[in-house]
Amino acid sequence: MSEPIVEFRHITKKFPGIIANDDVSLTINKGEIFAVLGENGAGKSTLVSMLFGTYEPDGGEILIRGKKERIYSPRYASSLSIGMVHQHFRLVSNFSVAENIILGLEPERKLFGFIPYVDIEKANHDIAELSERYGLKINPEDVIENLNVASCQRVEILKMLYREAEILIFDEPTAVLTPQEIESFLDIVRSLRENGKTIILITHKLAEIKAAADRCAILNRGKLITVLDVESTSADEMARLMVGHDISFRTEKKPAVFGDVILDVQNMSVKSRTGLDAVKDVSFQIHAGEVFAVAGVSGNGQNELADSIAGLCPCSSGKITINGHDITRASVRERIEAGIAYIPEDRHNVGLVLDFTLRDNLPLRQYYTPKFSHKGVISRSSFVEYNRTLEKEYDIRSSQGGATIMRSMSGGNQQKAIIAREIDMQTPLIMFMQPTRGLDIGAVMNVRKQIIAERNRGAAVLLISLDLDEIIDCADTIAVIFNGRINKISPAEKISVDEIGLYMMGVKTA
Amino acid sequence: MKKFTLSCLAIIISLIAGALILWLMGKDPVAAYMNLLQGSGLMQKVKYAGRQNMFTDFMSFIDAMTPMIFASLSVAIALRGGFFNIGVSGQMMIAGFTAHMLSLVVPSRILVIVVGVIAGALVGALIGWMRYRFNVNEVVSSIMLNSTIMYLVTFCINTFYVNPVSRQSKSIIESARLTISGFRWENLKLDIALAFPLAIITAMFLQWLIERTTYGYEMKAVGLSPKAAYYAGMKVNRISLITMTISGALAGLAGVSYFCGYYASIQPGTTPSMGFDAIAVSLLGGNNPIGCIFASFLITIISKGSVYMSSRQNIEPEIASLITAFILTFAACSAFLSRKGRK
Repeated sequence: MSEPIVEFRHITKKFPGIIANDDVSLTINKGEIFAVLGENGAGKSTLVSMLFGTYEPDGGEILIRGKKERIYSPRYASSLSIGMVHQHFRLVSNFSVAENIILGLEPERKLFGFIPYVDIEKANHDIAELSERYGLKINPEDVIENLNVASCQRVEILKMLYREAEILIFDEPTAVLTPQEIESFLDIVRSLRENGKTIILITHKLAEIKAAADRCAILNRGKLITVLDVESTSADEMARLMVGHDISFRTEKKPAVFGDVILDVQNMSVKSRTGLDAVKDVSFQIHAGEVFAVAGVSGNGQNELADSIAGLCPCSSGKITINGHDITRASVRERIEAGIAYIPEDRHNVGLVLDFTLRDNLPLRQYYTPKFSHKGVISRSSFVEYNRTLEKEYDIRSSQGGATIMRSMSGGNQQKAIIAREIDMQTPLIMFMQPTRGLDIGAVMNVRKQIIAERNRGAAVLLISLDLDEIIDCADTIAVIFNGRINKISPAEKISVDEIGLYMMGVKTA
Repeated sequence: MKKFTLSCLAIIISLIAGALILWLMGKDPVAAYMNLLQGSGLMQKVKYAGRQNMFTDFMSFIDAMTPMIFASLSVAIALRGGFFNIGVSGQMMIAGFTAHMLSLVVPSRILVIVVGVIAGALVGALIGWMRYRFNVNEVVSSIMLNSTIMYLVTFCINTFYVNPVSRQSKSIIESARLTISGFRWENLKLDIALAFPLAIITAMFLQWLIERTTYGYEMKAVGLSPKAAYYAGMKVNRISLITMTISGALAGLAGVSYFCGYYASIQPGTTPSMGFDAIAVSLLGGNNPIGCIFASFLITIISKGSVYMSSRQNIEPEIASLITAFILTFAACSAFLSRKGRK
């Protein structure tokens, strides 16, 4: 009954310093929903990227419909009727839905028999029909920038269907969706299966796999752990396999000892770059020796919250004080001096000057102080010395030491450099924004240990993360942000994961 | 070091391409290239006119090279700070013209330099200010200002400062000119570029400024990643403004050493092509001030030597500009390649 459509045979893929896939073999059958489950950095995206032609395997082979193929480009993948929806959508925001979908495959007609033009009416008609058939509810004439995330995702799905894709790959499709949207997304996926499509779902959310998938492959640190039948396996069992051992990897920490209030935020509101209220009337306090963790789904105002405390974007109302000093209108530098260290989410564009060397990046926020310069003249020897100290103390690895261009370093080591730089300032407040995104498990554990160490030395820690495990692992106090508001602040031991989930989704408000 | 290799590669490829064109035209590329060196006073010519020899040629080569060093420094500083200043020509022209005007009142070399620096710096600052205040891209504003300044200066020259014979502006008074022309030494007549030592000192100073000062550190950070610079607590706008002011001031120095030195007068109706060649020079020099000296040396050989080459080989002197253009193209490619190679 099941005919294999995709076969991975002994696939191995290496990146500098890490084996992303280690001898992975699996078979995906036609007409099934196949989930690939694993933690961040387990190698699931890499595996599937090889199917879509973004990467080529270093070893092993891929068979499509029983035939060995070398998929060297996404274009070739699409000629094999493989389509992929990326985590970040690839749409032209000021084009209409139809224009986006036909891009590259425009139906052409000839004006006066020789001047070619795009037959947008035919496109609109075809797409409306397609949308109808799969129950996608999309108006082909809408402009992308007016659509919400879920609709954009449907446009991406239509784009694949228009190209007559048979194998549809979704990379973390639900990361950006609300619970209701997830529900209808899963409906769409099921209807695609009924129409004979094969669906590959990359995710680390067990609930969706339980709800929709037929079979599920579990990856851990690049290795295939097992392929199992979803229906006959419990979610707990899957979680256990995914993590590789029972979920007990909680970071060791001693009980919190709260000191004075370090950061006090009162009724703060922040406008996003588009002028909408991103943070609405938020108030909270963080004490010395406290990890204050903010949980929430991506895009609920976390970025603006952190940026405006760090001084990178102004708050429109409210008051921020640190150690009793009002810093509501202070500049970035004044805030650094008042004692705010900040590990920003965007480590490439904000946290680092990528084309600087490691040595030049480390004093980025202190270069003007007497430690590194005298009357405007930089002391190179202090840069070298500082680099040597931090490299050793925080185990930053690079190919050419301090002279390594930041861009050429691995993500984990880039993050280590940022964290080293910020921690080393020994400030009363330190903010971690998504500190472990994209890091491998070892690095993740290390960062979490550092967070706890900061708290133990008596710093106030603000941790903002999308990763609930991380929050539960580190937090003394948990706040949940939804739609710009902090709906719940609770001591970590008095709130359950399920409850956090409800607040995160806005189902429950305090 | 990699940058250096790529620059050399750009030059070699360009010279080969130029040779190919010369060869297709039925000329001898080797002889033509030797003429370039001869015209620049770096190789013995077959014969010399009275009171001239290789040394006098070399001195006038230095005279031509001086404004080029300043102009390329102007481009280099702007690029390091994240600006693409293609308005060096206009800034040169306004500086040269203002200095000419002032020398009518007070003929002093010091004053010529000071006025040139100020005039150029003001235009540079204007470009920088427009970018952060109104978000006007500096490429657009600087190239627009080129035309604005050129027509303004042309109008002024043609109205009340024209030399009816040469159709150029009147010549600057000798006591204010930055080049001593026809200086008698032994039995030779030399052109002495007074601003040349200043150019070398400026380049060295800028090298120090970029590598050893907090301002240089800030400037590079802003140039490479404004967001990260802002995160680091730098005053991005102020730093950008200072960078463009310095760039403009350097263009001003190029202007005075060109219009009040190498040439004693201003030709109306056109901007000096040096402002654009300077981009090639700067890229070739890896946007490094010391690199700019060497790159200026090289490009000036081509531009200065082209006159002699064209008379000896009976080729249009534009062939030299063509080779410069090749170098610009390849240098730009190599800048791209070196960035890509790092990823």
